Amino acid sequence: MQRSNTEDEKLQMFFDGELAPEEEIAVRRDLEGSPEAMAQLREWTQLREGMKSISADWSKKVDSEALFGRIQAQIGSPTREVEPSKRHRPELRVVPGRRERRIWGGVATGFAAAAVIFLAVMAWPKSRLGPTDLAGAGTRTRGSEVLEADFGSNTGTIFEVEGGAGESLAVVWIDDEEVGRP
Amino acid sequence: MNLIRHLLAIAVVLAASTAGAAAAQHSSSSRSDRAASTSTVPAEVLVVLAKEEPGTIDPQLKKLTALRRPPFNSFRSMEILSRPKLKLTLGKDALVSLPNGRRVKLTLLRVMPDRRYKVRAAINRPNKSDYLPLLQVVASAGDPFFVAGQTYQGGTLVVGVIVDPKKTAH
Repeated sequence: MQRSNTEDEKLQMFFDGELAPEEEIAVRRDLEGSPEAMAQLREWTQLREGMKSISADWSKKVDSEALFGRIQAQIGSPTREVEPSKRHRPELRVVPGRRERRIWGGVATGFAAAAVIFLAVMAWPKSRLGPTDLAGAGTRTRGSEVLEADFGSNTGTIFEVEGGAGESLAVVWIDDEEVGRP
Repeated sequence: MNLIRHLLAIAVVLAASTAGAAAAQHSSSSRSDRAASTSTVPAEVLVVLAKEEPGTIDPQLKKLTALRRPPFNSFRSMEILSRPKLKLTLGKDALVSLPNGRRVKLTLLRVMPDRRYKVRAAINRPNKSDYLPLLQVVASAGDPFFVAGQTYQGGTLVVGVIVDPKKTAH
């Protein structure tokens, strides 16, 4: 029967000694009844042993000092300039008519630009070309504000109250005595 | 080559002239619009009787959220007594009668470069200067200013003035 990925992962972790002690005990218990998992473990063990022995053999054969010396020598050696290519470059060929085509393209671009500017100016909303723009003044301000107030012999207060769109609206409050019905 | 240069120059000149002509056309039309619109501006005066006693708020006032904020939030009832519409002409006085016998005098002084309206207001009894001799306000189209505080029938009169009310953004 094929083992699930989770079981494989757990077995791998068991093999690598990464499991918690309780889990390790549980896996050990499971292994007793699973010859397949035992075979897998043996296979991994053999593989690890084989890798270890190959690595040990290879490291014995390699003269690490000589290798390091070669690397240092390469780093310290002067750089060698690469000679520029001596290949013959083909001469540029003048193609008659191409320049004219480019200039005609420029003329066409000029006319296109004229058309675009014309359309942009025509399509610009009137409201945006209002007196504010013509005068070069700032953007339109919302709300209302008091410039000057004379309360006469009364007492008055000027408030600002927020409108529905967040604009500031002027409120002038003047104390008054009952005037009565006309 | 010369021909091509000439054509390029023509293209540039054409672009400049068409743009200039279009801008001039818009400029003149907007100027004429401005002249037409600034000589006479519609306005509306809202006369509201506000009371602290619990009552109803006129549904027409619901859009005016400013009337639910201080200093108006102490009022629990608001009734529209009148809502006269008038036209403000530059330099000319427009009069609106209030229920307490006083009159609101409104004068359009100037249309500002930012399209706001400079308005002079006064509230007095005829031939007197007993209440509000002078008030100068700048207001955007559709944005009101309020004059409140006159006592009337156990309540307070709140007078709202809206210049160019059709342009209101709310």
